[in-house]
Amino acid sequence: MSPLIARLWHFLPAFLAGMSVNFEIAGIALAFGLALGILLALARLQGGATGMAAGTIVGLMRAAPTFVVMFFLLNALPRGGGLSGVMIVALSLMPYAAAYVADSGVDALRQLRAGSHLACLLVLPNVARAFFVLVMSSSAGAAIGVREGIAVLLRQAQQVPSLGDMLILFAIGVACFGIPLQAGFAIIRLIQRHLGRVALRGQAAPLTGEAALSAKR
Amino acid sequence: MSSKSGRRLARGRVFRAAAGLFAAAWLVTAVPTAARADNSPDAALARLLAEARSAAAVPGACAEPGADRLDHVLCAGRIRVGVRDEYPLFGTLSGTIRQGYEIDMARAVARRLGVEAAFVKVKAATRIPMLADDTIDLVVATMGDNTQRESQVRFIRPHYYRSETMLVGPRDLAVADWKDIQGLTVCVTVGNASNAELVSHGARLMLFDEAVTLPERLVDQTCTLAAQDDSFFDYYFTDPDFAARFSEKFGFGPMPWGMGVAQTGSDRLARVLDLMSQMFHRDGVFLAAARANHIGTGFLAEQQELWARPGCDTQFGSAVAACVLPPANAELQPTPFAGGVAVFENWFAGLTGVDLQLPMLKTAPAWSLFLSGVVNSLILIAGALGATLAFALLFGPAMAARSPLLRWPARAITVALQSSPILLTLVIAAAVMHALVPNSPSVALCAAIAALGLANGSNAGQAISEAYLTLRVERGELPGGGVGLFSRALSRAATQIVAFLINAAKGTPIASFIGAPELLSALTDITSFSSGRATTYTLLLVFYTAVVIAVVWLCRRFQGFLERSHAAA
Repeated sequence: MSPLIARLWHFLPAFLAGMSVNFEIAGIALAFGLALGILLALARLQGGATGMAAGTIVGLMRAAPTFVVMFFLLNALPRGGGLSGVMIVALSLMPYAAAYVADSGVDALRQLRAGSHLACLLVLPNVARAFFVLVMSSSAGAAIGVREGIAVLLRQAQQVPSLGDMLILFAIGVACFGIPLQAGFAIIRLIQRHLGRVALRGQAAPLTGEAALSAKR
Repeated sequence: MSSKSGRRLARGRVFRAAAGLFAAAWLVTAVPTAARADNSPDAALARLLAEARSAAAVPGACAEPGADRLDHVLCAGRIRVGVRDEYPLFGTLSGTIRQGYEIDMARAVARRLGVEAAFVKVKAATRIPMLADDTIDLVVATMGDNTQRESQVRFIRPHYYRSETMLVGPRDLAVADWKDIQGLTVCVTVGNASNAELVSHGARLMLFDEAVTLPERLVDQTCTLAAQDDSFFDYYFTDPDFAARFSEKFGFGPMPWGMGVAQTGSDRLARVLDLMSQMFHRDGVFLAAARANHIGTGFLAEQQELWARPGCDTQFGSAVAACVLPPANAELQPTPFAGGVAVFENWFAGLTGVDLQLPMLKTAPAWSLFLSGVVNSLILIAGALGATLAFALLFGPAMAARSPLLRWPARAITVALQSSPILLTLVIAAAVMHALVPNSPSVALCAAIAALGLANGSNAGQAISEAYLTLRVERGELPGGGVGLFSRALSRAATQIVAFLINAAKGTPIASFIGAPELLSALTDITSFSSGRATTYTLLLVFYTAVVIAVVWLCRRFQGFLERSHAAA
């Protein structure tokens, strides 16, 4: 067994365990983001001062860079507020998740009020897309010592002797992150197409009915 | 005059001459010997203690408000000593048993004074305030003597130990000098004076509150290196597993450790301890305690030799510059406006009750780091925006090209970039750049611009290509295309392009991970050797949020321009 393959043999289980932390962080961030985002979306739809305040908050959360929020939580709170590294990364991703959910939620609620249930359902693939973006963004945790996938990969990369071996490791990392991501996006596209077809059938059915009525007249 | 009387006279002269010679000889030999004996630290200490005991014996003297701490100690029959209880080999508490080099020293001091040692736990942050508020009489707690602390504590000289900051890392990691640490992650404790030195040599610092975390972070490979007093690592190197995995790389910043007493009301206690300290060095008391506790003895062996020399072994030896070590220089040059900043901080605290601290404005090195951080951040943001746009304009037409030779590689690169977390893309860009050119902060900045541009530009390019393809379908076989069609595609993809431009600007702080000297990196460095972390990171968040809002505004104007140009066309 070549040294690189032997290294990979030990590395892959640790890397996959690290990747599970990325999914865990994304899950927590999305859960918080959904809770806050839905509240903000409802507040924005109320209009008036509440709507304006909610809009301003969403604007600020959209503009706050995740990496800076993470360091802010780590350093501005005494002893990081007693939070674990995983929770700090998840909370730093929450402003993005909440702003995204609020924006998508406002669109969905408007579609629902307009009577388009299917357009409203588009919020689901959008939330799934946000989840995959959060998985990728959770790699920021490597900068504060969270043992997620990229942290494991970088530690391993420090121990390989040549740039070529290092690039092979990185390629494996990209593939491991890319396969679930691209598969996820493919599923989202399938769902969107399915919803689109359902919508078209929905539009076609009343037309057919009307045409029948015209024929009777 | 008879011959008899003449002989008597002569004998008398001889006797007187002999007596004179004897007296002269006595003056030459005996008197200096006595004077030297009086000048010894032992005699001076005995005199001072006798005087203090006599004074303490006077009724009411112990309640005297202006009495020296030495009098209080002798009156109470105990000396309250502030010690560490979690510093292996120096001061630990296990159940009710205290042990360590500093504990042995404190006991030796108490024995010489003829009193009991009453130990009080102190921490780095509490040891000086506890001296000032009379909770303890003496601190023997791993306290380095530096120019900053000289104004807060009366240090006892000679110093009882000397440490230096040691860089520790994996055995197989080749680090021998400053040039080897550039870009490496070094774990340090917040407020360590040596952090400024590490920063100036390009190390990437990871901050921790407690030193005990550092070995754990070395073991779990969070840190490439850890920097802390060599005295701290002494204990960990007694563990065979730790010693097998890690080694000392190099040390820097020697720091003498001193016992300390309060600045006011402790003159006589300090004088007594100065003398005692001299004698402990000369007589090998410190050295024996160090050997018993398995700590480094090189410095103490040197000191024993030094304090046995006649020039130092006098009652005034601790005031002789050639005998004692100077405090380490920890003073950072203040900025010309540091005074004004302090006034503003106090005014703000009085007004709002918020403890605002602006360390980046108060010292010259921090100010310099802050300014260059702001400038580099703005360069990075401008560069990332430019690179995103440039790669979008490159990838867009390539992905929409009719030739598969152009289309498929562009799509493959885009899928790969979409599948790579941005942190990994940054690290790959940095690794490739370092393989081509020597590592430096400007190379890291260029690598970050390239990585952010590629990651966001490929996505924006995909949006352009999709817009281009839809336009081609809509136009069918109608004439046209080329530049005109491409500009319409740009206009149609304007929202997506703007979204990825904003994303690029938001992503710039992550460049600090590969050592790009932007503002996050600069402020992390500043807070590693100064206070005010909460304020600093709050200001950082405000800065970046404001910059992103400004970028959003600019991008919206750009989007408007694209859409108007399409409408005009």
